[in-house]
Amino acid sequence: MDRRDFIKKGGAVVAGATGVLSLPVLNSCTAETAQAESKLAGKKWMVIDLTRCREDCTECMDACRQENNVAFHGDPRWDVHWIRRATLHPKDQSAGLEEKDVLLMCNQCDDPPCAMVCPVQATYKRDDGIVLVDHHRCIGCRYCMIACPYNARFFNWKENPDWPNKEYPRRSHGVAESCHFCAHLIDGGGRPACVEACERSGERALIFGDLLDPQSEVSRLVAGGGAKRIRADLGTQPKVYYLGL
Amino acid sequence: MKRSTVLTEKNRGTWATVFAVIILLPVVLSLVGFVFSRGEDTPEVFLEAADSRWENCVRDAEYMRFRHMDLLKEVRSDVIRDGLKGGITLAGCGDCHHSREQFCDRCHEAASVSLDCWGCHYYLTDSEIEELEGGGE
Amino acid sequence: MDVQFAKIEGKSVSYWVTVGLLAAATVAGLVATLVMNKHGLYLSGMTNRVPWGLQISMAIFYIGLSAGSLVVSGLYGVFGKMEYKPFARIAAYLAMLFLIAGLLSIFTDQGRIDRVFTKPFTYVNPTSMFSINPALYSGHIMICVLYLWALFKEKGTLTKITSLVVVLWAIGTHTGTGAIFAFVPRELYNSALLPPSFVAAAMSSGAALMILVIVSLFRATQRHLDDELIIWMGRRLLSIFIVVTFYVLLIENAHRAYLAYSHEAGLFFLFGGVHSLMFWVGLITIGCVIPAVLLFVKKTGTSVRWTVFASVLVVVGVLFERFLIVIPGLIHPPELFPGWEVTDAVLWEGVASYSISPLEVLQTLGVIGVIGFAFVVGLKVMPLAPTEARALPAK
Repeated sequence: MDRRDFIKKGGAVVAGATGVLSLPVLNSCTAETAQAESKLAGKKWMVIDLTRCREDCTECMDACRQENNVAFHGDPRWDVHWIRRATLHPKDQSAGLEEKDVLLMCNQCDDPPCAMVCPVQATYKRDDGIVLVDHHRCIGCRYCMIACPYNARFFNWKENPDWPNKEYPRRSHGVAESCHFCAHLIDGGGRPACVEACERSGERALIFGDLLDPQSEVSRLVAGGGAKRIRADLGTQPKVYYLGL
Repeated sequence: MKRSTVLTEKNRGTWATVFAVIILLPVVLSLVGFVFSRGEDTPEVFLEAADSRWENCVRDAEYMRFRHMDLLKEVRSDVIRDGLKGGITLAGCGDCHHSREQFCDRCHEAASVSLDCWGCHYYLTDSEIEELEGGGE
Repeated sequence: MDVQFAKIEGKSVSYWVTVGLLAAATVAGLVATLVMNKHGLYLSGMTNRVPWGLQISMAIFYIGLSAGSLVVSGLYGVFGKMEYKPFARIAAYLAMLFLIAGLLSIFTDQGRIDRVFTKPFTYVNPTSMFSINPALYSGHIMICVLYLWALFKEKGTLTKITSLVVVLWAIGTHTGTGAIFAFVPRELYNSALLPPSFVAAAMSSGAALMILVIVSLFRATQRHLDDELIIWMGRRLLSIFIVVTFYVLLIENAHRAYLAYSHEAGLFFLFGGVHSLMFWVGLITIGCVIPAVLLFVKKTGTSVRWTVFASVLVVVGVLFERFLIVIPGLIHPPELFPGWEVTDAVLWEGVASYSISPLEVLQTLGVIGVIGFAFVVGLKVMPLAPTEARALPAK
């Protein structure tokens, strides 16, 4: 009976100690999130996609891939696309509508389902509205990909063979990612790579700015009417508007 | 109550010895390693080239030696989760400490603490620096 | 009536062969997981369009099985049916093992397994079902352990309380598991009926598997088993679960196919691909209609052989159902532009496809190996199985 008692008491002590020692961990969870909220000012950044988009042009996609080290394997099963081009064909042929091209990217939703479902808050929305992934924390569960209604999120199934931009980290295999409006560039006062590339190419189909600022170009374009968002009815509050859709 | 056939009165000594050996194995191996490494210097980080842009390191040597991981975690959190740019970066470290072999790997290999950084973050090793410089000439 | 529990002998050749095969399966699964973890998950059949595959489907299958086991255990613990006391310990132990299998399946499917053991516990996201569920599963496992302990120690009141708690918690866990899919804005996922249908199918598959496990165990150890116990479990318990499952599935699919906004998606599910065959033949016919008929019709329902056959059909049907929860929702393209079809992108637009890869199969075998091993060895090391199971004598 002595041995049993000893084991029972020992077990209880270990359980108690584990409980006590886990308190600092629990504390640190709450401390971290509380801190993060106070630091950033709230500014909304909008990208407006004008269908001034040239046929067969891939400037924005190439620039994005170069800037952000987005993985390309030449295989549609695993290739990552932060911005991509798609063609829309009207289902109802009789309506006389024509095919058109559209650029698809992460809509940087204000109510992002991806951030809501990330079990470790690796995908989260910053105070300035940017939705991005903390690749140090992502466990690769791919729930955010399931939750995104726009198919805008991707997973690194394979090690990225290239590293075009050594000044920006690339992602190793096993984590999820999507476009983050080039947060590293806009935090330094710049603009996303796709916007810059489109301007360089002369078309200016991508416009970036602060929707809350009535003087900004994005505000004027949205106020002018005709700007639509993809599946706004889903309630995700996407921050990418389209003109000419 | 049924008597155990595996652990009996007679062989409990043997079992106790086996158990003790398994539990103490890491300690014993560490001691052996320590004894055999006597005379070897503790690896020191090598400052290759002080860069004129930086007056001194972002923290003092004592802090960096023992708590650089805390600093890195804090910086990481600030930059990614709070969007605070322009502070400490790995590239900044590289201005003075060019080679990650001298800066990081030397001590990390000796201490057996594996790093997950270099699959994603760009920091050159000695051979990679040589290659680049060779290509430049 | 005093029920005796005894360890199984576990000395026959077939026993050791079983243990050996399960151990080999475990090693195979471990190797497959390590290979995929090192080289990347592209070695599985999953792609950017279908990011969840066999492992997640099996995970929810195992978790579902644990509910049914607990219901059988609860027949004694909650409802005090003494004639089911013999099965209580096996059921509780199996339930615990199935939950562990579910967690293992999910854990080995992550992109960064090295992080999955620490980060989900440090950084909890209360709005994420993937964060809430592991908490539910771990709690569930702990209560199962407590329940098993109460059963071993023959502590009457504690058994009753933990039995009730574990059955209620099981319903909570399974609703949570269904919610992983239901609370996500994908057309074939977001149905409010998905959690209840998940629970119903869980009960069916679990009860069916318990019938299979009990019958095989008693045959293998040549211990006495009264036919009436199995027949009652089939005719009065499993049959009800099958009917409820069928009912909820019927409404879920009818609703989705009826409404204009989900018309296309609903019809795609019912008639649009290989998965539809899986649905009509695998789930409805094999999984619901045939077993229900077999169990209700007196001639077959009162025979142990037919009950066992019906149970096999139910387990197979629910396995198909778990696939049907996960895969069709992913291969169906999201409707981004109502009235327009999206094509020609560099991404795989339109209906995607998913095929199971050998490494994923090995991973699944590995998980089955681990819990099978734990079960078979557990039977030998602990007095889980009863010496005999008799129905109460008629008064």
